[in-house]
Amino acid sequence: MSVGHIARKAETEGLPTVTVIVRSFRHVAEEMGLPRTVVTRHPMGRPLGPPGDHETHKRVVGAALTLLETATEGGIVIELEEPYRPR
Amino acid sequence: MTTDSSTDSFEEFKNSFSYGSRTDLSFKFLKGLSSEEAGEFLGRVLQEVGELFDGTSTDRLIDLVYEWQVKGYQPKAAAKRPYVYEDRPFTPLAKPLSETSIGLVTSSGHFVTGDDQSGLDQDDMTQDWAIARMNDFLRAVPVLSEIPKDLPAAELRVRHPGYDIRSVSHDPEVALPRLPLEQAQEDGRIGRLSPTLYSFVGACSQGRLKNELDDWIHRWKNQGIEALFLVPV
Repeated sequence: MSVGHIARKAETEGLPTVTVIVRSFRHVAEEMGLPRTVVTRHPMGRPLGPPGDHETHKRVVGAALTLLETATEGGIVIELEEPYRPR
Repeated sequence: MTTDSSTDSFEEFKNSFSYGSRTDLSFKFLKGLSSEEAGEFLGRVLQEVGELFDGTSTDRLIDLVYEWQVKGYQPKAAAKRPYVYEDRPFTPLAKPLSETSIGLVTSSGHFVTGDDQSGLDQDDMTQDWAIARMNDFLRAVPVLSEIPKDLPAAELRVRHPGYDIRSVSHDPEVALPRLPLEQAQEDGRIGRLSPTLYSFVGACSQGRLKNELDDWIHRWKNQGIEALFLVPV
């Protein structure tokens, strides 16, 4: 929820935000009303994906940038379906 | 931890993975399960491990642990939820993303070697010590570490009492995605990635964190940051 406070404060101060969060904490993003959230189906502590899997990291970042660019209102949550698959 | 756990009940056993005699931060979610649920989880884990003997993929075991971890973190009906808001603060991008300066902020607990600021009065704090002092972290003022985006990975450290740091220790990109954001800059997808990245320990006093935010946001704006890419762990 620490990052949730940052997101809310930043948005009220004119800084747009996008947040990448693991599925275990999706409810936190929803409860706190985060403006733009990308949820990954990864274990806790691995929000972008498995270590060394830079292709997955790139896809997650790409999804987040798209959401940052296209959202027209707050409270948008999208969940990526890709399961966690370490190499 | 050296406490005698030889006579633990099953309830004590499952709870001991959360800051107890068997601490493992990937499995502290067991404390959030009932004994019946934890028993079902462990039974299914053993079943899947048994399947591995005959060459089954590890995918099902990973999925099983992931699903139960999600279940373990869901709020209980009686739990106090102090940060539930009805409003949805929102600021649109002021200009195209391809012209926007992005700041990267994570609660991963990364810091630059030689710039270790836990916020607690202890030098050279190890991960084990941090876990042992979790309650002190939860009362502390968070410290915002500045990380040059071109810093060699060998000069990056991580320590955090609230999550399993094994993955981020192997590869900081797991929570500090410098490479894809730099690639996005090279590709013209974003204006730029801010030259300084930021990390703090998210397990901190939430009230004190909120008191810091005017200063943090002022610092980010002074760096020319126009949007934030946030990664909680």
